[in-house]
Amino acid sequence: MTDRRENLILVAPGLLLLAVAFFWPIGQMLMLAFEGPDGPTLDHFRRFLGDEFYLTVLWRTVRLSLLITLICLLIGFPLAYIMARVGPRARLWLIIMLILPLMTSVVVRTFGWMVVLSRSGLIPSTLRDMGLVGRSYAIMHSELAIVIGMVQVLLPFMALSILGVLLRLDIRLEEAARTMGCSFLSSMRSVVLPLSAPGILAGSLLVFTLSASSFVTPNLLGGPRVQVLAASIYRQVTQTLDWNFAAAQAVILFAGVALVLIPYIMLMRRPAHG
Amino acid sequence: MVSAIPLPLRIAAWVFVAFCALLLIGPLIVVVGVSLSESRFIAFPPDGLSLRWYAQVLSSDAYLAAGWLSLQLAVLVTVSATILGGAAAIAIHRRRLPASEAMATYFLSPLVLPTIIYALGMLMLWSAFVGPVSLLTLWIAHSVIAVPYVVRTTLAVLADSDPFLEEAAATMGAGRVQRLWLVLLPQCLPGLAAGAFFAFNLSFDEAVVSLFLRRPGLTTLPVHIYNQLEFSPDPAVAAVSTIMIGLTVFLILVIDRLVGVQKVASN
Repeated sequence: MTDRRENLILVAPGLLLLAVAFFWPIGQMLMLAFEGPDGPTLDHFRRFLGDEFYLTVLWRTVRLSLLITLICLLIGFPLAYIMARVGPRARLWLIIMLILPLMTSVVVRTFGWMVVLSRSGLIPSTLRDMGLVGRSYAIMHSELAIVIGMVQVLLPFMALSILGVLLRLDIRLEEAARTMGCSFLSSMRSVVLPLSAPGILAGSLLVFTLSASSFVTPNLLGGPRVQVLAASIYRQVTQTLDWNFAAAQAVILFAGVALVLIPYIMLMRRPAHG
Repeated sequence: MVSAIPLPLRIAAWVFVAFCALLLIGPLIVVVGVSLSESRFIAFPPDGLSLRWYAQVLSSDAYLAAGWLSLQLAVLVTVSATILGGAAAIAIHRRRLPASEAMATYFLSPLVLPTIIYALGMLMLWSAFVGPVSLLTLWIAHSVIAVPYVVRTTLAVLADSDPFLEEAAATMGAGRVQRLWLVLLPQCLPGLAAGAFFAFNLSFDEAVVSLFLRRPGLTTLPVHIYNQLEFSPDPAVAAVSTIMIGLTVFLILVIDRLVGVQKVASN
């Protein structure tokens, strides 16, 4: 037996599993999206793009995903910076603070938000008691609820992506800038931010795609009235049973995500070579 | 360096970290709090303290059946993903295969594709060619999304290993199987173990694939919780959720012991 043969035997089962159970299903779904009662058709896409309701859903998905990405970035960058600059013990605790929610089931995390955001929940009732909002104020089943829930779900991805880059960044660069008379903010702007751009970009792309494709949190916090694209796919599959239409929506999601993912994959591959 | 940061900024930094901790961990604490409530209604802070909801969960057939299914599934997925992913990682690491780089990307691709697209495809394929979904469907689908994690943790550990050990063993007359079993496998072990625990956690907590590939009688724990949340949440859901949080904490501690959480996180 040659080396090559041995390695092929090792890699074959996994290769086969992914080919049959990962790439084939995706192909099957792509095919169904173009399948009509009489041969190939673009009808499902026409129906989607011609319907005001679905266009609203699509626009909401894009808008909320952008907003969620932006908020994750605004919170995630300072958090990652602080994590990179504290001592190793404190950093370990902060990493656990990020990983614990990351590894907890998304239904469990969303449940916590359902309790806090519900009509009698902690946040709306506090706001009401402080007189900041009216008596009928509610957060549940709104876009705001989706954004709050999703930021918590996705923040760890952003913070960890940026942290990975910041930890490799030579701290002496920043010290040099400071000794040369840079203020804290200007060393941030002209040294730290440009050097951590790959992490910021990778984190943002990841958060955007994950946010555009989630439906568990948006379904539970947004309710049936505030639908996003992924939630609409889930509904087509489980309630109206219109699989071809669901596949067409998945293709639209896939195309949107691919536009964002291709630069992400190229970005991820580069450090492996360097 | 720390001294170069002005005091007000340092205070602001700690306030900010506290805010992040509240945002990230707060919802989990709320769930634990609700599970201890005495009343029938979901309330936080809880009304009174009791463990009655835990007792109710442990005597509920629906929860026990869902929990048993999730446990079986997670164990199956752990075994299959660890074997397939570990073997593939060893072969990729040796870099003797054609297109080693492309192979690595191939094995990590389920990580980047949105799970909902994969779940939909799997449902369609299975319905078209096999029939109604079953435990086998879930096993295969969860294995597909768990394999990349094992590949990644194993490759990370192998990257730090000594490449000459295998050569040395070969020079000393060790056969192929002996080299794999006695030299490579022990080197991979921390990565394999971390990958296995990730796979277990992933499968046990997974909701998206399980929601698409479900039918009456094939309800995993996260799907059961999802159904309860959609229709009639009560503190019993919080009790189950708390048990799941406890399990996650345990798994993180184990993974930290094996490879170090820090190494996994910043990879």
